[in-house]
Order: sequence, then structure tokens, then C-alpha cells
Amino acid sequence: MTLVLTNRFNTKDSHTLKVFEESGGYLSIEKIFKMKPEEVTEEVKKSNIRGRGGAGFPAGVKWGFIPKGTGKPVYLAVNSDESEPGTFKDRHLLEKDPHQLIEGIIICSYAIGCHQAYIYIRGEFDLPYRRIQAAVDEAYANKILGKNIFGKGYDLDVVVHRGAGAYICGEETALLESIEGKRGNPRIKPPFPAVVGLFGCPTIINNVETISALPFIINKGADAYKKWGTEKSTGTKLFSVSGHVNKPGVYEVPMGYPLKDFLKNECGGISGTGTLKAVIVGGSSVPVMTAAEAYSVNLDYESLAEKGTMLGSGGMIVMDDSVDMLWALTNLAHFYAHESCGQCTPCREGTGWIGKILERFLREGGTQQDLDLLNELCDSMQGKTICVLADALAMPVQSFIKKFPEDFKRHFKKAAKSAA
Amino acid sequence: MDKVKITIDGQEVEVAKGTNLIEAARAVGINIPHFCYHEGLSPDGNCRMCLVEVEKIPKPVIGCRTGATDGMVVRTNTGAVAKMRRSVMEFLLVNHPLDCPTCDQAGECKLQDYYMQYDRVPVRFKETKVHKNKMVDLGRGVMLDEERCVCCTRCVRFCREIAKKEELYVQQRGNHAMVSAFPGKPLTNHYAGCIADVCPVGAMTSKDFRYKKRVWFLSKTDSICPGCSRGCNITIEHEDKTVYRLKPRKNLDVNKYWMCDFGRYDYVFLNVNRRLKPARQESHSPVDCSYEDASGFLRASLSGLSFSEIAFIASAKESNENITAFADCAKDVFHADDVYYSKNDSLEPEADDILITADKNPNMAHVKKLGLKPVSAISAAVKVVLVQRDLCTADIKHLKDRGITIAALYATSHTIADHLSKTIFPIPTYAEQTGSFTNGDLRVQAFFKAFPPRGEARPVQEYLKDLHSLTVKLKRAG
Amino acid sequence: MSFQFTPDNKSRLDDLVKKYPNKQAALLPALWMAQRQNGYLSLEVQEHIANELGISPVHVHGVVTFYTMFKQKPVGRFHLQLCRTLSCALCGCEHIVAHLKEKYKLKEGEITPDGRFSLELVECLASCGTGPMMQVNEAYFEGLTIEKVDLLMQKLMKE
Repeated sequence: MTLVLTNRFNTKDSHTLKVFEESGGYLSIEKIFKMKPEEVTEEVKKSNIRGRGGAGFPAGVKWGFIPKGTGKPVYLAVNSDESEPGTFKDRHLLEKDPHQLIEGIIICSYAIGCHQAYIYIRGEFDLPYRRIQAAVDEAYANKILGKNIFGKGYDLDVVVHRGAGAYICGEETALLESIEGKRGNPRIKPPFPAVVGLFGCPTIINNVETISALPFIINKGADAYKKWGTEKSTGTKLFSVSGHVNKPGVYEVPMGYPLKDFLKNECGGISGTGTLKAVIVGGSSVPVMTAAEAYSVNLDYESLAEKGTMLGSGGMIVMDDSVDMLWALTNLAHFYAHESCGQCTPCREGTGWIGKILERFLREGGTQQDLDLLNELCDSMQGKTICVLADALAMPVQSFIKKFPEDFKRHFKKAAKSAA
Repeated sequence: MDKVKITIDGQEVEVAKGTNLIEAARAVGINIPHFCYHEGLSPDGNCRMCLVEVEKIPKPVIGCRTGATDGMVVRTNTGAVAKMRRSVMEFLLVNHPLDCPTCDQAGECKLQDYYMQYDRVPVRFKETKVHKNKMVDLGRGVMLDEERCVCCTRCVRFCREIAKKEELYVQQRGNHAMVSAFPGKPLTNHYAGCIADVCPVGAMTSKDFRYKKRVWFLSKTDSICPGCSRGCNITIEHEDKTVYRLKPRKNLDVNKYWMCDFGRYDYVFLNVNRRLKPARQESHSPVDCSYEDASGFLRASLSGLSFSEIAFIASAKESNENITAFADCAKDVFHADDVYYSKNDSLEPEADDILITADKNPNMAHVKKLGLKPVSAISAAVKVVLVQRDLCTADIKHLKDRGITIAALYATSHTIADHLSKTIFPIPTYAEQTGSFTNGDLRVQAFFKAFPPRGEARPVQEYLKDLHSLTVKLKRAG
Repeated sequence: MSFQFTPDNKSRLDDLVKKYPNKQAALLPALWMAQRQNGYLSLEVQEHIANELGISPVHVHGVVTFYTMFKQKPVGRFHLQLCRTLSCALCGCEHIVAHLKEKYKLKEGEITPDGRFSLELVECLASCGTGPMMQVNEAYFEGLTIEKVDLLMQKLMKE
């Protein structure tokens, strides 16, 4: 099946310019330079592609927030900081089709009037970094980037900027801070980056997957893109699947695809015990689903919202019925406590506190009071901080306790058990 | 500036558009608690203590970085706000050592105050605390206890924005985050004492004040720093005629919220090395004596002199009132054509573009206003001088070279001029009297008596009154 | 001997700085370069970079301590960074950790006496579908089993 993002994934040397161009790469460039920048934005708006990094904000609408005539440069920052547990889709886009991303960068840059783009890539990514850097170098050598690209009189520079180990730099304003050579502390919004972003200038931050979809949208048109997916969740989405499935990996499916079919067809069914217990569908910070919920949901923004969860990054973690959900949650809490930037009081202290309660619960047993306290701490953290890292822990904690109470009660101390 | 009307807890208030909600609330007497916000620093928004509710905004907002817009309806007194404050307090105390008995901040700690105001629930944290370094000497009199730090970054912003030296920054992250200097690089900025002032908790404390006094025993008196011509507004904190510390006092036109370290630590002379009794010279060293004795001695050394042989040297370190009284006495009673002055001619500390000025005297402006002349210009006829406060080295040398005798020295402290003076009379320090200084910008600023003069010190005016009766005799004799 | 960039790196740094509107923005790449040259970012290196970029040393220190990949102390010639987060944990990464500790006497956060290996448990490396996995220096080794680990370790011990 020909889709949007992964068409070259199985082609040999798909990361090279030669293979890319042989398979229709950079075709959209001719097209965009015949359009006005606003028309490009309009087409992207029409496609209704929503940000694939997790927040799901319509990309074209975001571009429209760039103020006109400020006299300041406009920047594009491509978010390749992929660090949300369970998420590894962007890595594949960077490794296997870096030129597709560059083509997308050109499209977006032209639309928003940007002449300097930064690709912020997480520090741990070695092969993806080498691939995208090589692609950028190749592009420069072939006048695809730099001065007067494709002879169209448009200048565009792209710098690949490496992070150095900090999940929070995937948060868009922390990412900007990091490019500026600072600690990755998220900024208070407003002002939003589209108005005051990188180096104080208007900036668009989009995820690798979002940008990589642009060549298709321009080449084939928004209508072709919208043929996939549902009315509100258009196009296709990459899901990276890990945990207890027979065929973990990255899959591109149309939005609205039933999760049940996805697990059976793409993922080859549940591995381990063979019985599904839980699915985290959009990266570790979204609320967990029970097997029953998972089997009755479709992979789109609206259907997942109905089940009280989110599409997020599409990082799917599948758990069979041998998994102790207290253990799984304790593992995640450790992650968030480790990754809190430490700015805001509730997150700095709350994530660590929750982690310690869970560790003790797992080690020596807990009580109903511990569960009540955990829920209360989540309440005290959610929506009270500069960024959503605190929420990103609160959501799993609340949903794990709510949906798998038995896994917690099983760990009650003896006295607490009999009282319960 | 555009004005907007907003409502806070039902009270309407008109403020400049964009005024942050903490300040807007303050205008109607409503206190929004905060740690990281400080009027004199850029807002940060990290502590989350100032979260309030605003109508039509779904999530709570931070008061410190939410600007007032017309018609805004703010609520700070709801159950939800109370709960948020309680939870922020609880979070802040999770890894706090709760070591109030050994903490110098006790009594002026926001954690203590807010706990009583907004928290008051037992500790629910049963886990192991994160341990960090204690007693980190940051240099320039600042001591850091990392465990007490609430990461509000006031100190970081102070160094960057006010002292203009980026010497502190947050290190590590998550609940290991804390403020520190670059390892092995002590603070160098001349305003470091303010770091302990801006710290809302006991993380940054003053080494000088450490373990000296519980703050609630201290009385506070408004005063003016006499260290240079800036005239920083300060508070003298004292007990039992002893000064324990000086703190800057807000004056947006002069020193804002700050003072330099030189001024801050220049309180020791108020307590020690004080001239407490009159003295008279006996075989080249001053010996304490009664006032009558010293006064008689002075009369004797002046008798037989004509007015033109007697000169007065006022001090640029003294108040407007004292300098005027001294000069008036010289002119009106002793018929002096010129009155002279001495000043602190030190070049240290170097002036900067923050607060420290080149002129190390609190009152050169008044000296100039009265047209006093430098000691170097002293008239050829002069044989003896009466000196207010003290003399700088150059002036002492000038008098010596000219063979002029110091008949009387009115001093607060023991000084290098002591052994050259025939008589010495104790006068009060600025902490022991009410008066005013005129700063370099010609701003007249009052300071107040914190406690009665130590020892037998008397205002210079009283001594001058006695001199008046002497001149009657001189006149008759003359 | 005080730290200096090699002439090559120095000219790379000069080029790098030009890619950003201010020097500070070149901090992360500069630190990467220094770490690659020096093995780790000693205080001296941090100060040198601060001077090169005209920013305060304490700022550089704050940045170095924020990012987990910047090392303030030396690590082994082969720095094993084993992912401990959920997806890898579901695939049994703890067995790999136990094996490395038991058979190769590795200790978390420590370098082996011969300086060859060091072990660190790290958070998600975006290799969730191929767990358990670890990053050795820069390279990813995925789909680890005890056997694969033994083969790899033997290879590394000979290198």
C-alpha cells in the first residue's frame, strides 16, 4: 500500500539523495515556488494535518500565527528530540528518509518565510544524526539548501543541532532554550513561540513526522491526504509499537484504524502470555487503556479521547496479563522524576515524591492512604506548572490506579489488606 | 500609561495595564504569597505559590506573570486557591531539612510564615529526603545550605540583573536541582550581601550575622548609609545599643532594594572602638577625663588667642544639622571668615555604575552648599583648630607641616588624630541621633535615632554652647 | 597542562559559531566537541569553553549538569548505557543488567579497574521495539540477549 511517510522505508539506500530523487523526491519544490507562501499554508491547513509530536495542534493554523512584518527573522525548529518512552518513529524517518524531511523543511520554510531552520535531534541518536547530517551536506552540495536553492532565488540554511540527554527538550520551548545554549527549562506561555521564539524571533516548531508529511500534501494535494483517516483526524499516522507483541516496530496506518486490527494484523498479535492486559497508546504519558478499551477503540484523536486517552506521539506500549501494573507504573515514575527540569515546585518535588511512594509500595507494600495520597499529589501537580511534564506523570498514575486497582491492592500490607 | 479596571476578590482596583496581579492585589491590601517573585527582579514564575484564579481562564494562572487587562476578575480567596497554596507548601517541604532551630532565617522565613498562613497540616512525606551540601561558603560573606534552597532563582537573577555578574546558576535538575557558583570560584560581586536578603528561605544566609541573634529580638530603625554619596536607604537592626546588621530599605529613586557590601558591613564602628569619654592630652597620649576637666583644658589652650588664630574643620561625614551647627558656631561666635572641612578621601571601593559612588562621604553636598573650604586652604594666621569627627591623613599632614595644633576633636571613635588633639569630646554616631544627609543628587534624606548615645557622647551642639560662653571671655580679654 | 581545542577543533568551533546568531547558542556543540576530544568535561574544560564563547563559567556548569550525556568525570573506554525504561523493562532488561554485573563485574556508575568499561542505566533511548538495548559509546546495540551481550563483550575486550 502506498502511504504518506514510509514509502521508501524498504528501499535500499533510501537515505541517499540518489534514491530519494529517483523515487519522486523534491518534486514538490517546483510546485511551491509557483505558489505564494500563503497558498502553501492554505493547502496545509486544508489537509488538516495535526502536529504529530503529541499535542495534535493543526500545523497550518500554527503557521498562521507567525506575525507579519516584524522585521525579525523567522525560524523553523524541527523537533527530533523523540524521547517519550515507547516512541521511536522519528528515528526511522531520520534514518530511512532524511531527504523527505529536508523537502518538508523547505516547504514549511517557504510558507512561513524562514531562511534558517534548525533540526534539534536528541543527543543519543547517533545513526539518525549521521544520516540527517549527511543528507543536509548532500543537499548543500546539490544546491538544495544554502543560497538560491534550486535556482529559485530563495535562501535556506539548515543546521542540525544535537541535544545532550534531556527528555524535557522535546517540549517546544525547552527545545528553543537548548538551541540557545541553555538549560532545557520550558518557558512560560504566552508569549507563544510563533510570536517570541528562538532568539526572541517568531518561530515554528514542528515534529519530524509532521514536516515529513508535507511533501506528500503538496505533491498530491490536501484532498489526497484527506482520503486517509477520518473527517477530523486526517491522513496517516506512524505508530511505534513495543512491549508484548509479536512484531514490534514502526507502522504507518490511516487514522481511524481499529486498534484491535492493528494489534492483530500489523503487530502480529499479543506475545508473552498471549492475553492483552493494557495498552498505552500514545507514549508513556497518556492515560493507559484496559484490554477491553483497547479492543474497542480506533486510532484517531476523537475515538481515543472518548476513552479518556490521547493519540499523543503514537508510541504504543503493549502489556500482556503477566505485567504487574504497579511495577510498570513505578518504572515510569522513575523516568519522569529523572527528567523533570526542576523549575516548578510541584513537578520538581511531586515527581520525585510519587516515585518514592511507588518504590516503597512495590518494595514493602502500601496502603489505601498511599493510593489516596498519590491521587491527591497528581491533582496538585496537574495544570499547575509551566509545562506538562507533571501532567505527563499524573495521567499514568491516575489511570493506572483507576483502571487496575487490583494490581495495587495486591501489594497492600497485610493489615491494610484485611482492613480493605 | 493605559489604566485598566480589574476586580480582585470583589474589590475593584485601577492599575496600569499589564501590572502583574501580585502588585495589583497589593494595591488593595490583598497579599498573594510568593517565593520567586521579587519586585526588584525580572519575574520568573517557577515557585507556583502565587497561583490564582481568573474568570474565563480555565487553568489557574501565576500572579507574578499575569498582566492586568481591563475587566479581569481575579479570585485569590477560593478553596481551590487555598488548596494550591497548601500543596505548593507541602511540596516545598518534602526535601526541606526542617531544621528551623539551627537556621538563621528563622523569624523572617517565607516557609515558616506561609506554613502558618496557608498550610498547617502535618507532614505526610514518609520517604527518604534528597541530601545535598550544607554550609557551602560561596565567598563574600554568603553561606549556602543547598538543602534549604527552594530553587526560586532570586539569587541567580540578582547576580545577573543587579550585580551584573553571572556568578550563580541552577545546577543539576529535578529534585537534585540547586543553586551554586562555579566550583572553586567564589563570589566576587560587591553586592553579594543582598543575596541573603533576597533569599526567601534559609538557603543563603549572611556569614557575618550567622548565629548572632534571633531576628525577632532586633529593633529596626530607618537610616541612611553614610558610606558614600549615594545615600542608600537602610534599616539599622539593633538590640541593647548594639547594631547587629544593616539592611537595604526600598527607595526606588536612590538604591531601589539594594546596598553594597561595603556599606552593609560598615556597622562595626558603631559598636566597637568608640570614644565614650572626654579625654585630654598628657605626655603625647590622650587620657580619659571628666568633661569639666577636658573643657577646662580646652579653654586654657584657647585663651590668649585671637579669633583669626582659631579655625573650625567640619566633617563631610556628619549630618546637615551638625555641619551647619559647627559652621554657624565658627562664623557667628568665633567670627571666622572661612570654615574648613575634612573628608574621607579614600579611593576604595571603586565606583561602579550600580550604587557605589567615587565620593566616600555621605554629605559633601552640604559641605559644598555651605561653601566650606578644604584644609589645604587654611588661612596663614591660624594656630589652632577645632575638628569635627576626624581628619584624613592628608589633612593631618597639612596641619602638622603648618604647625597647627588641634585644640579639640569631637569624635565618635578612636582615630589617628587622637594623639595630636589637646582635647577629645565624644559625639554620637548616626545611629544615635536623628538628622539628615544630602546625597550626591542633592536629595536630603533623614535618618533616625536608633538608641541613645553610648557612654558620655553628646551632640556637638551642646559642646558648642559651652564654647560660646568661652568666647564671651575671649572677647572681653581681646 | 591546560585544556585547548586542537587546531582542527578550534577552526570547527569558529565555523560553528557562525551558524548561530550568538555565540552562546554554540554551547552544546562546543561541549560535544570538547567531550569528544577530552573524554569528559572537567571544570577546566568548562571554563575554557566559557571563555571561548564569552559566557559565564557558571552558566556552562549549569548546562553541563543539566544534560545527562555530558560527563564531568571520565567514563570507561566503552561506556555501556543500558536502557531501563518500560518497554525495555517489559523485554527483561534487568536480566541483561544482572548479567553484566555478575559476569563482567560491572558496577553502575563505576569504571572497571582496567578503565575499559563503565555501566550506566539510562532512560528511554527510543529503541523500544528492539529492546532490551544498550548504547555503547555512540552506537546502539539492540535486541539484546545474554548470548549477544557475551559476544559483544568479548569483542570489546579484545579491542
